[in-house]
Amino acid sequence: MTVRRFHAEIGTAIGTGALGLAAVIGAAELGYGWEESGPQSGYFPFYVGLILIGASLWNLVAAFLRHRSAQAHAAAGGEIEEPFLDGERLGRLGRFLAAMLVFVVATLTLGIYVGSAGYIAWNAWRQGGYRLPVALVFGIGFAAALYLIFEVAFLMPLLKGPIEPLLGIY
Amino acid sequence: MTLRNIGTVAALALLTALPAAAEWAPERPLEFVVASGAGGGTDNFARTIQSILTKDKIIDRPMVVLNKGGGSGAEAFLYAKQNAGDPHKVIFGTNNVYLLPHIAKLAYKAEDLQPVAALAMDEFLIWVKADAPYQTAGDLIEAAKAEPGKLPFGGSQSKDTDETLVALIEQTTGADFKYVPFNGGGEVGVQLAGGHVVANVNNPNENLGQWQAGAVRPLCVFAPQRMAESEPIHDGKGWHDIPTCKEQGLEIESYQMPRTVWVPAGVPEEAVAFYRDALKQVTDSQEWKDYLGKTSQTGAFLTGEELQTFIANSEAKTVEVFKAEGWSGE
Amino acid sequence: MGNFDLLIHGFGIAITPMHLMLMVVGVLLGLVVGVLPGLGAPNGVSLLIPLTFTLDPTSAIILLSSMYWGALFGGSTTSILFNIPGEPSSVATTFDGYPMARAGQSTRALTLAFMSAGIGALLGVIVITLLAGWASNFALRFGAPEYFAVYFLAFAAFIGMGSAAPVKTVVSLATGLLLASVGMDNVTGEVRLTFGFSDLLGGISFLVVVIGLFGIGELLATVQEGLSFRGVSSRIDLRDVLRTIAELPRYWATSVRSGLVGIWMGITPGGPTAASFMSYGIARQSSRKGKPFGTGRPEGIIAPETADHSAGTCAMLPMLALGVPSSATAAVMMGGLMIWGLTPGPMLFATKPDFVWGLIASMYISNVVGVILVLLTVPMFAALLRIPFAIIGPMIVAICFVGGYTVSSASFDLWLVLVFGLVGYLFTRLDYPLAPLVLSMVLGHKAENAFHQSMILSDGSLSVFFSNPLVGSIMTLALALLILPKLLHLGGRLRRRQPVE
Repeated sequence: MTVRRFHAEIGTAIGTGALGLAAVIGAAELGYGWEESGPQSGYFPFYVGLILIGASLWNLVAAFLRHRSAQAHAAAGGEIEEPFLDGERLGRLGRFLAAMLVFVVATLTLGIYVGSAGYIAWNAWRQGGYRLPVALVFGIGFAAALYLIFEVAFLMPLLKGPIEPLLGIY
Repeated sequence: MTLRNIGTVAALALLTALPAAAEWAPERPLEFVVASGAGGGTDNFARTIQSILTKDKIIDRPMVVLNKGGGSGAEAFLYAKQNAGDPHKVIFGTNNVYLLPHIAKLAYKAEDLQPVAALAMDEFLIWVKADAPYQTAGDLIEAAKAEPGKLPFGGSQSKDTDETLVALIEQTTGADFKYVPFNGGGEVGVQLAGGHVVANVNNPNENLGQWQAGAVRPLCVFAPQRMAESEPIHDGKGWHDIPTCKEQGLEIESYQMPRTVWVPAGVPEEAVAFYRDALKQVTDSQEWKDYLGKTSQTGAFLTGEELQTFIANSEAKTVEVFKAEGWSGE
Repeated sequence: MGNFDLLIHGFGIAITPMHLMLMVVGVLLGLVVGVLPGLGAPNGVSLLIPLTFTLDPTSAIILLSSMYWGALFGGSTTSILFNIPGEPSSVATTFDGYPMARAGQSTRALTLAFMSAGIGALLGVIVITLLAGWASNFALRFGAPEYFAVYFLAFAAFIGMGSAAPVKTVVSLATGLLLASVGMDNVTGEVRLTFGFSDLLGGISFLVVVIGLFGIGELLATVQEGLSFRGVSSRIDLRDVLRTIAELPRYWATSVRSGLVGIWMGITPGGPTAASFMSYGIARQSSRKGKPFGTGRPEGIIAPETADHSAGTCAMLPMLALGVPSSATAAVMMGGLMIWGLTPGPMLFATKPDFVWGLIASMYISNVVGVILVLLTVPMFAALLRIPFAIIGPMIVAICFVGGYTVSSASFDLWLVLVFGLVGYLFTRLDYPLAPLVLSMVLGHKAENAFHQSMILSDGSLSVFFSNPLVGSIMTLALALLILPKLLHLGGRLRRRQPVE
């Protein structure tokens, strides 16, 4: 599967446009007028949101126009539009992102120490080709370093899950 | 699932090496949640208490200070609500705990926290630029009446203690100022020294430096009696030489900001009592007296019934001002 | 020459074995917190404050300020090596520092950054030494309209000469402004754009966004190209460091100009982060030859680093003399000052000369100590790049998320790091410039507040921005910087076209 630049442009423009729309709606609730003592609190978000919607629409249209001319170009025997992500890259990126997503969910449920130790060990094992025990040493060593730097040296508590209290660490 | 297992193994190996917690009252490291950013007045309040508790070994558990100053401190109070019943979270604030819900739509109520103690009262004074023509509060108010809505009055934040006091002055005297909100007391002090505003209602230590330099001058203090004796600060005058506003005919008996300590709702009474005793020992220490002196705050130790009454009064009076100004949400 | 005698006196106080040791400890601790994104200088300094109760105030401020300098140095390290700004003020260093490191010249990039930082700091201290009294009086003249003009100037200097697609620049700028306006608005006291989510009440942290945009975003780009860092410096040796130092004099003009920008932004309320952006923008505009900025130009590292550090040091002046901290770290130090029983204000210089001049003297020494220490760490950091990606990549990911969490101890911020990582990747691939987003997040809300305050003061009249010579000239300069480059560009194009036709 290949993602074309056209798709990415469209997706991003829709995303930024949605942000602009959200701002306009949120600001409209606050009031966006100009009182005698200056702008109301929604004034800037409202107009900045409108500008963002406008600019996003512009980018959307520009992407369509470029897409059409590229297609015409390709039909006339020219080069096909450059892909944004070919299958191989998409796969690599997808796997990396999926692992990151699992890491975030694991961190939120099990705490940063468990999450990061597992994440690093998994990557060293599956991506780095290290043997599982070695990979585990990397993961645990990293979590231990985090603990020493943040919690012991700088008294900064990190997110903990259900496992640490069982071991007497809060 | 593999990931989870690896994580478990990792945590076990990492954590068994460390000693387990032994005694109960507090069982774990304490979190001091501060309803202001690092360096703010509430932050200094909490860190001073933390250092006294540590140095005098009043509490022998580690205490970690967390700054949650977002939304004028609402972030800290929401955190308390999310941790209802957790006796290891101690929240440091002012009167913002029970006043914020009246002026902004927030996802917590004052009942989500229970008060432990109030330890100090920060005073409010009217300050003007040193070379201003106003000698008393009356002069300033007359000037404001002569030019309604023209004299810029600086303050910290919007709809917070400063603006409430300015509104109270307006409601009491019929004068009309132009309130300009800035980000903090220090900034307001400099705006006054630079002549960009005509007056402010800073706390003593927010304007002390500018007063020492003779750039600004206090008119009166909003307290039932004058402040404690002190070394002379500028031109032979010290804190005690400042008249009360009532002496000058401004009929506001007292306006003070309490420095308060809270725990989340649902914390058992024994834990509250534990903190009450610990804080009592803090207020008896020499370091605490030094802190009060350096920041020119008035010492006060309110707990239990007394504290409840104080909060109820302060809340009722302030909400009246809010209503008159139309700030109340409902 | 009174100041000079006082400075000599200050050196007498600062140069004691105890104080030198505190400087080394402070700088080293600062390097650690600076390198870790999220755990920045403000956190580090506030954690040290309870430890300083047993020290006398002069020793305490020397320890804390040394830690600040260390953090500023450390922040640049990760910007250059991993595209992750360790400190907000080192964001602009990533623009050219990272490309240079990727081209295999990480030692050169790091050396350039540290040396310029040292030079910037020294320029800043010299100004403090010479102009202490004058500068604080000057700062008193800044009311709300002047504040706004200063922010506007920083914007104009950076945006005026942008080279990216204009509409995409607008998108980036507007996105930053909107993100900055989430949360409680100080001037109106209203909660904005949170849509009822309590997690958004405290606003969206600038640091969290930056960690995602740059750190995670760059890793995604790296992964897509295969699992390795592109271009790794093969050997690190001291001769590289010396050779780089030898090329510095060539860029004296950039250094001096950036130092001046930093000093200006440090004394006025702009702050170091804005200073580094503004300086970068001006350097880009004033260079006509050579390869474009953003591809590893030495000036692109020198300009933000020099300005960042000269602003950082000069920011101490309004803090000490006026009690107005122009950076988050300065705010924490000011809290410390009050706990030690010192009152910042104009009289501090007169009543506590030992404290003030001991500190100023220590700023000379500890910045030199900082440059030496941080240069010694260059080989160590550069060696990090040789660790296989399968190990170091996930570690960077984990550090980014941990860093995002520590900014305000909020789990919600982990999601923000992830989302902004994707945004950073998409924006970079699709040629949306990231810098305007970052700059508008830093300055947007401050500028809005200052604008609003000005409007209250002037009863809604825009003429307040030209109401006195000071604000008028800053505004005029800003407008000129915003418009002139476009005109020059247009004029240049017309002139070029004519001979052809």
